[in-house]
Amino acid sequence: MTPFEVKDCALLARMSGLPPAFNLRELRERVAACSENVLFHHYCETTLRATFDNPDYRNDFAVWSKLYLGDRVLAERLGILDPYSFPSLGELRAATLEVIDVRLGELTMIPWARPGDEFFFMEATTVIFSAGIRIAHSSDLADAIRKMTNGSVYFHFLEARRRPPFGKDDFTSWLLENEDGGRNRLYIEALASIDFYFHSLADLRKELATLLSGLEEAK
Amino acid sequence: MTSPLAAYEGIVGPAVLRQLRQLGEKLSGTRVVHVNSTREGGGVAEILEWMTPIMRELGLDASWEVIDGNHRFFETTKSMHNSLQGANVAIPVKGWKTYEDVNARNFKRLRPILEGADIVFIHDPQPAPLLRLCTRRKGKWIWRAHIDISRPFRPVWKSLRPTMEGYDASIFSMAEFAQPLPHPQFLVPPSIDPLSEKNRDLAPAEIDAVRTEYGLDPSRPLLVQISRFDRFKDPVGVIDAYRMVRKVSPVQLVLAGGGATDDPEGKAVLDDVLEAAGNDPDVHVLLLPPGAHRTINALQRLATIILQKSTKEGFGLTVTEGMWKGKPIIGGDVGGIRLQVLNHQTGFLVNTPEGAAHRIRYLLHHRDDMERMGTTGREFVREHFLLTRHIREYLTLMLVTLRDTKANMIEV
Repeated sequence: MTPFEVKDCALLARMSGLPPAFNLRELRERVAACSENVLFHHYCETTLRATFDNPDYRNDFAVWSKLYLGDRVLAERLGILDPYSFPSLGELRAATLEVIDVRLGELTMIPWARPGDEFFFMEATTVIFSAGIRIAHSSDLADAIRKMTNGSVYFHFLEARRRPPFGKDDFTSWLLENEDGGRNRLYIEALASIDFYFHSLADLRKELATLLSGLEEAK
Repeated sequence: MTSPLAAYEGIVGPAVLRQLRQLGEKLSGTRVVHVNSTREGGGVAEILEWMTPIMRELGLDASWEVIDGNHRFFETTKSMHNSLQGANVAIPVKGWKTYEDVNARNFKRLRPILEGADIVFIHDPQPAPLLRLCTRRKGKWIWRAHIDISRPFRPVWKSLRPTMEGYDASIFSMAEFAQPLPHPQFLVPPSIDPLSEKNRDLAPAEIDAVRTEYGLDPSRPLLVQISRFDRFKDPVGVIDAYRMVRKVSPVQLVLAGGGATDDPEGKAVLDDVLEAAGNDPDVHVLLLPPGAHRTINALQRLATIILQKSTKEGFGLTVTEGMWKGKPIIGGDVGGIRLQVLNHQTGFLVNTPEGAAHRIRYLLHHRDDMERMGTTGREFVREHFLLTRHIREYLTLMLVTLRDTKANMIEV
């Protein structure tokens, strides 16, 4: 097998240049206009950012709707949107706008946030490092994942889906490229079975490692 | 004295140091100059004291320059500082002239190093005019705002803004603290040094000595708030909360801080706090000298629960320090405390003394939760708020600024 080169990554956040949103209508306008990098940041990069993981929702729009607009209905509808299930960020944006539009149609007053509680639109640069680790065989994957940093888990299992081949994590791509008489099929199926979006990175690492070690033990 | 980078490996792990070394290789030989207005005292000087040697250790040609100023200059920049944070303090024409003159005088001295630098970090507004004066600059200039300028006194910001707009980039601690500027605005939260006197592990004997020195009872729960005697930290509200809890539980309270002696407002607040404390032997109001880092460290370690019941807050590094010591936090629902405290995860956010009292009582009845929150908080700080993350972000933004500020991804 071609060895798997483990990378690590970190984010450098910056302001997007968009004005903050004080109410739901402004949120809708900015979501419609923001770059895909901004959308990706608020849906996917939250898990790597220096804020505490909100256990209720995994995207910033849902968290803001609950905490600062006080709209739990909207928070629940936004919170269930899984960005990785959309074929493109454009479609994720359309789905987000649809949820907001439906809610705006239901409300008689536009929910608003107090000054200081507005939604700030941000984006980030991802900086990629070499982790100095190579995985030689699929049977070593579980152990290697167990020792990975959060940045490595994020980069290979989540961020990878944004890079070609789109929608695939790096481990699966590696296993497919090195498919040898179907021996990797079980690993590939196991990786595809994880409902990963709602995990923190630490939980995701644990689940990946446990699942793959289970396959090793079953052999 | 900063510890060498290798000393942090046992705390943050080898992967973090590997990241820094890879960034250092890419930036090797880069001439970096930090400029601020004081060598000692205050958070900015503390940061530069560790950041400059670590940058050097990583292979950068880093230096730290301090501008000299007279009494009128510092009076003006203090007013500027307050007005940028929202106080309605106008700056007289004479003050602006002093501001410009002092910077011009400093520029003469600093000219060769500033003109030759690849990256110049200007910290806060005091040395900001150096950018305009350095017409033959070849490097990138970055303005680092350590304060919250989201709601400044407009006349002062209007005068300063054209200068800040000339920078190639700026850095804020949080999105909530920024002002719109026509260049990339990076977000870099502050950090704590786990090996500093304020945060390093202490021997049990040293912690016990502090307990004895202040007459604290080891058998009863201890509430601790460490902060300046400032109304925005709401020390009187903390005493109110303590009294509500005291009716049902034999808790003790420590309110410890410095900065009151040379600050008329601080003295007034301290007087109010002492009056509120009255003769209660279980309320300990401690006015600590500036260098009492180990005492603060010990008090935080002695605490059962750490409070930071601010009504207005910057980032709230005392919360970070408390979490690093494995304590649950009860913090005001403001500023950077919101980034660090999440209900039932690392502590509780509260808005009133009643809310604080309720959460103190809850925690005292749920000791297992306290332990879990303490562990979660410490790991959260390890991941996000230690100086290694802080320097990684500075190095990354240098790389990004020297290459392409709009890149979504860079590989080192």
